[in-house]
Amino acid sequence: MKTIKIIIVAVIVAASLSANAQMTGREIVENVYTRPTGDDQTSIMTMTLTNKSDQTRVRKIKQYSKDLGDIEKSIMFFMSPADVKNTSFMNWSYDNDKSDDQWIYLPALKRVKRISSDSKSDYFMGSDFTYDDLGDRKLDADAHKLLKEETVDNQECYVVESVSKDEDYMYSKTITWIRKDNYVGVKKEFYDEDDDLIKILSIKGIKQISGLWIVTHSEMKSVQKNHKTVIKLTDIKVNTGVSTSKFSERMMTRGI
Amino acid sequence: MNIRRIIIAAIAILFVVSLKAQNVDISGFARTYEGVTFKDGDFAIIQQTLNLNFEKRGEKVAFKANPMIYTYNADSVYFTMREIYMDLYFDNFDLRLGKQQIVWGKADGVFITDIVSPLNLSEFLLPDFDEIRIGVIAAKLDYYIGSGTIEAILIPQFSPTIRPATNSIWYNEPSFPATPTFDWSNSEIAPSLANSEFFLKYSQMTSFVDFEIMGGYTWDDNPTMHVQKEFGMDTSTMPPKPYLKGLNIMPEHHRLTVGGGSFSSEIKGIILRGEAAYYNGKYFQTEDQNAVDAIVQKDYLNYVIGLDFNIGSVKMSTQFIQKYILDFDNKMIDDEINNMATFLIHYDMLRETLHLDLFSYVGITNNDALIRPKITYDFDDSFSILLGGNIFVGDEDGQFGQNKDNSMIYTKLKYNF
Repeated sequence: MKTIKIIIVAVIVAASLSANAQMTGREIVENVYTRPTGDDQTSIMTMTLTNKSDQTRVRKIKQYSKDLGDIEKSIMFFMSPADVKNTSFMNWSYDNDKSDDQWIYLPALKRVKRISSDSKSDYFMGSDFTYDDLGDRKLDADAHKLLKEETVDNQECYVVESVSKDEDYMYSKTITWIRKDNYVGVKKEFYDEDDDLIKILSIKGIKQISGLWIVTHSEMKSVQKNHKTVIKLTDIKVNTGVSTSKFSERMMTRGI
Repeated sequence: MNIRRIIIAAIAILFVVSLKAQNVDISGFARTYEGVTFKDGDFAIIQQTLNLNFEKRGEKVAFKANPMIYTYNADSVYFTMREIYMDLYFDNFDLRLGKQQIVWGKADGVFITDIVSPLNLSEFLLPDFDEIRIGVIAAKLDYYIGSGTIEAILIPQFSPTIRPATNSIWYNEPSFPATPTFDWSNSEIAPSLANSEFFLKYSQMTSFVDFEIMGGYTWDDNPTMHVQKEFGMDTSTMPPKPYLKGLNIMPEHHRLTVGGGSFSSEIKGIILRGEAAYYNGKYFQTEDQNAVDAIVQKDYLNYVIGLDFNIGSVKMSTQFIQKYILDFDNKMIDDEINNMATFLIHYDMLRETLHLDLFSYVGITNNDALIRPKITYDFDDSFSILLGGNIFVGDEDGQFGQNKDNSMIYTKLKYNF
């Protein structure tokens, strides 16, 4: 799980801008992955879960992230619902092959507990996003292939198919629509082992903040289960100099 | 009486409204909790609870008060201020003053280095772990150095473990060879600097491992039973024979010095946890006729090793716990080695609205166990219903087996706000 970059990365973000028709799928996705996202970000994430009966549940989270070069640290403070209020979650992810380090603080237990990051296919807080959807994915974890070019909402896009090199991965493939002008992913389809469509991620809003493209509104729809999750980011701040000490046991227990 | 309660309720409401007006954050839960024993169908638990959290956080200071009100059966009210403290934040250190719960260590459901806050065992080990600990009035200083923290605690007033009342179903009357007479006059510890408890801990959180090293100069939360025998003379025999007429028992708390540590690390998706403590100067009961007051002082080691892992989406955890008395002699009542294990299986379904849990303590030495299955359904983000069981099995000499008659099914309805 990743914090602020959650949506950005989940959709597959940015890239160096070159509308070169000769680009390969890998080059396009590499540009997405290496798009500048700032040294640190802060935001409030509101996640609305809607089931097939149109009943909704809302989760609100304050999140911070900081890129420290080899390590990206993020911390989430759960603001609602009431039963998870003041819970905090911290993640350290690494550029190398080391798996993420994760800790959770449960106010009832008054203890920061290290937890396994080996639950990538679990759904985050009952939403339609798995922990893996919300985290950074390594560029070469998938084989990328440019399928075609297409126009979505009047934006020219590359359509790239990514097939996992790990046969046990939860998705057999994903197909992503990536805008040519800014390399922001605007749509992504997720397929299961039978090549049936499971989920569609749609980007409903992006905003340029401090010169960086930030996805502010996204929707993940589970087509087989008729359930969807909408994520909106508000109070977004970029490059404000979030202190490294924010990502510590001290802050997890103290809260926001 | 009713008017008095109405007035108290009115004052409480005014207090809450006043706090709300000052932007004090108010949260908590209301809960109804009923349990029926398998053996005779009695309602062993009829409990209603209101838990309130008042919190105000600032950049430099914070405040928290956590009153809890329990009503038992029809009209028995128990109020406790579980926590009430002030936090002061500085650049490199924080200070917390007041009544607070302090949790140390890495173990789940067992208390090895987690000895700062004593336990409320009036309902055995059944309450949630946040409710089983007693807040202590303490000054706690946390000093931060890089990724490490030095924590120093001073507790001026000692609080012992709370035991089940004699009329409680959780009270297990000890058997004595003669009529006991209890004298509790030595069991109180007067609050003074000399009688204070001191704890020190260094902890560090790193990418590779989290660890804690701790020490404590504390009181034994459980009183030592100083037993003096009173003999009579049986004149019905020739020659007359002395016989054990009675026992004078004086419960008394003694100092304990404890040192230990704990760690937690992830290895290929599995969390490995460990915790150990060396207890110096603990008094144990003995049957040695030469022992003064039927007690003997020994050191002991208590440790746990545990694993947390996932099989698919099922979260599992297991721990092995051993208590080992050093320089043991066979006349001691306790076992030289006591082994125990815990198991936890947890599974979330229906988008984390249905939760299945199975937690179990297994007394390996005593061949007994407490098995706790439960299923929780969240109707919405505020309201949940829980159906569970507490099943005690095994040897009646064990701490779980002796509660066989208290095996029960229970339900909890909870509203969070």
